[in-house]
Amino acid sequence: MNRTHLAFSKTGLALATLVMISACATQPPAPTEDRSVAEQVRAPAAEQTRGLQVYPLRNPAVTELSQAALAAEQAGDLDQAALLLERALRIQPRDPELLQHMAEIRLERGEWDQAENFAARSFDVGPRVGQICQRNWRTVALARERLQRYDEAANARERLQECQVEPPVRL
Amino acid sequence: MLRRLLIHTILFLFGLSLGAGLPWVWWLDREAERRFAERQWTQDSRIYARPLELYAGLELRLEALVVELERIGMRAGDPSRVGRFSQQGPRINLHAPAFRFPDQDQGAQRLRVTIRNGVVEALERSDGESLALIRLPAAELGDLLPAGSDDRTLTRLGDFPPLLVTGIQAVEDRQFRHHHGVDPRGLARAVWTNLRRGALVQGGSTITQQLVKNLFLTPDRSLIRKLNEAVMSISLERHFSKGEILEAYLNEVYLGQDGAQAIHGFGRASEHYFGLPVQALDVDQIALLIGMVRGASWYHPVRNPERALKRRDFVLGQFLNTGLIDAGQHDRLIARALDVATHRQRRQRPNAAFLELVARQLRRDYRDEDLRGTGLRVFTTLSPSAQLAAERGLARGLAERERQPNELQGAAILVEPSSGEIRALVGDRTASRRGFNRALDARRSVGSVIKPFVYLLALAQPDRYTLVSPITDGPIDVELPGQALWQPRNHDDISHGEVALMDALANSYNQATVALGLEVGLPALYRLLGQLGIEPGSEQHPSALLGAISLTPLQVAQLYQPLAAEGYSAPLRAITQVVDVDNREIGRYPMRLRPIREEGALALLDFALRQTVLDGTARRLPGLLDQDPGVRGKTGTTNDRRDAWFVGYTRQWLGVVWTGRDDNAPAGVTGSATALPIWAEIFRPLSHRPQPAQWPNALEWFWIDWPQARLASEDCQNALAVPFIQGSQPLELSDCFEPASTSRRSRGRRR
Repeated sequence: MNRTHLAFSKTGLALATLVMISACATQPPAPTEDRSVAEQVRAPAAEQTRGLQVYPLRNPAVTELSQAALAAEQAGDLDQAALLLERALRIQPRDPELLQHMAEIRLERGEWDQAENFAARSFDVGPRVGQICQRNWRTVALARERLQRYDEAANARERLQECQVEPPVRL
Repeated sequence: MLRRLLIHTILFLFGLSLGAGLPWVWWLDREAERRFAERQWTQDSRIYARPLELYAGLELRLEALVVELERIGMRAGDPSRVGRFSQQGPRINLHAPAFRFPDQDQGAQRLRVTIRNGVVEALERSDGESLALIRLPAAELGDLLPAGSDDRTLTRLGDFPPLLVTGIQAVEDRQFRHHHGVDPRGLARAVWTNLRRGALVQGGSTITQQLVKNLFLTPDRSLIRKLNEAVMSISLERHFSKGEILEAYLNEVYLGQDGAQAIHGFGRASEHYFGLPVQALDVDQIALLIGMVRGASWYHPVRNPERALKRRDFVLGQFLNTGLIDAGQHDRLIARALDVATHRQRRQRPNAAFLELVARQLRRDYRDEDLRGTGLRVFTTLSPSAQLAAERGLARGLAERERQPNELQGAAILVEPSSGEIRALVGDRTASRRGFNRALDARRSVGSVIKPFVYLLALAQPDRYTLVSPITDGPIDVELPGQALWQPRNHDDISHGEVALMDALANSYNQATVALGLEVGLPALYRLLGQLGIEPGSEQHPSALLGAISLTPLQVAQLYQPLAAEGYSAPLRAITQVVDVDNREIGRYPMRLRPIREEGALALLDFALRQTVLDGTARRLPGLLDQDPGVRGKTGTTNDRRDAWFVGYTRQWLGVVWTGRDDNAPAGVTGSATALPIWAEIFRPLSHRPQPAQWPNALEWFWIDWPQARLASEDCQNALAVPFIQGSQPLELSDCFEPASTSRRSRGRRR
């Protein structure tokens, strides 16, 4: 592969000229509450528990926050769910489950690029196999489809297949 | 005849006063009603630190917890009282006051926190029940655009402590529940006293009258004003309930000054004098504040403590007389000393630089009139204990290392890399000074701090460059159209010949870096900086490869953030949430990520920046830390030692330190001798968890006969385990390579 230039993400934000703190302004409200989108990510993965699964150890504080986030999400309060997940991520910034949950919340809020980026981060630090891997790539695929990057979406669907790994044979 | 004249005169006067007086009374009545109904109180918009979240396993030093507690207004004392904490060995018993979070009203709670070896070991309620997570109240950092002369914390009647509500009546107006605005008996008593003394010395004012006076009238003591006051008081009582009047009174009454601002109401007074929300006040504290109603300056607990104490005890006596407290309580309470938080000088508190950052960001997103006096609450990312560490570290570090007192200035920033949240920001060695904010506004040459980005560009081409690629550090002539030949030199004026790429970075060789930079291309560097959110200007000169680019410390922090966050760029942010006076969210600044898709190259660079600390220009650093949790870093020094930089990071903290002179004259500073030790000073008190590096799967590790680009065996003399992007390792074998041993291993270092 000939890589003569850094292929930095072009999809990113063109950060403000006022670079002192290139913070994002207030989030515009999601166009639609696309609840079904997140369901598309979770349900198919949940059915396939046959392959190798990797469960990271959880800090009880993180468990409490992520359960509260789930409850808020189910109650339709996506803002609150996102806030709770941010608090949890301050405690465990590299928790793939939290990052993927955040990706799904962003998906439901219609923030496609953030959904993709959080899912990618979750994959990077995650087990890269099993359920969470499938949710990662499903999220990425859906987000890319919504962003009309169909080739890349197809690519993500291929990666999804690689998440299925047969468990090691136990003696 | 005379009698008729008298009667006529009296009738005439009566008619006149009726004719003129009735419209006057009617007008006053209307005015009082309208103005009371339409009154709008200003309340400053306040800025809060991030609330500290406590949980078992949190890395937190005991001293840092104490700092955090003090910043939320708590003090050492008996934790049975709200707002107090006590320490017994590794355990802190604390009684945290109530706090209104945007998403939750949290009551006061008694807790036990056990901290051993810098880690929270246990977190319990005082009854022993174990807790997974506790969010402490957020520390108030200061006000946003103070709304001018007044400040208050609006409090609903039902939220005041019942003792305050009844106590104020016992002292100021016992007939409040029964009168209709004026209390004739009280008035008669006052009139009698005044006549006897021949002057106006006593006011028999009811609470309603006092409120009318404060809200609508001038403070002069004339008979006309007294009449107006009486009419308007009766009017208020006709139109509004006792509860509404009392609530307004409790929020309006004048209770002293905070700098140029007047403190109105018990809510703010409680925060000002005791550092506590009014709900948390104890009986003696309530009595002190009630006593101040008569004369906030005369009975000021700090300026006139003896008078204040006497007055408080008088008020406690009134409480006893009216049965609000019993004799035992009374005797116990008057034995207590005055207990005000004299250290609480909000205006002089540090954080000036950070508050300015917050204000700038808010001004960009909101109109001034929406921010000023509207009682917004702004929740930020600042960590009070990290801020203190940064302020102290910078001040001490500069004082120790400058040639003459107060020659140097500096700036320091601490960021949590994965979220981009700014934890501390210092823009002046005297942190409380407002003025030139160097962290945000000092555009200074960055020097070698730019170099890692040149190397990142090279390492992203694994077919051309690896960490062990030989590059030439030698005299180099750069021809520029229409300009003199540019001949960069090394800091030590020595050319080092052929060197391994990683050594060129770790030792910050200029000539090697220019050679490499010209290969990868200047436009590529400018493109990369732009993608990382920095606009260094359009004019491209190769001296940019050596950092002849002026950036602010905050921009440098933004550049390094993705390096410290495993390649995920997150815009630096200081604000998380803004809520209005009714706790409705009006603004949110969520965490955002953007991947820099060069996982492998970033990991190689990370390894090289670790090598810089272990064996390069930053090798002094580990000796300055009690424990090195794997810091990566880069020094920077500019021409004639005008600027010194150090940027260092772990997965938990990214720190940027700049020092130099404000007039940009040679300052005798260097990155490794000035900025680096200051960075260490700041970093030492921070809590951190040692984290094993997690390398991406795309890397493979090989033993290298360092600095030759040859594979070696583990037991070769110069063997060093070096990561490579898959397939990019050298193929040549070292002389000491033994085919029997495997040259590949997962991790390690030997040299």
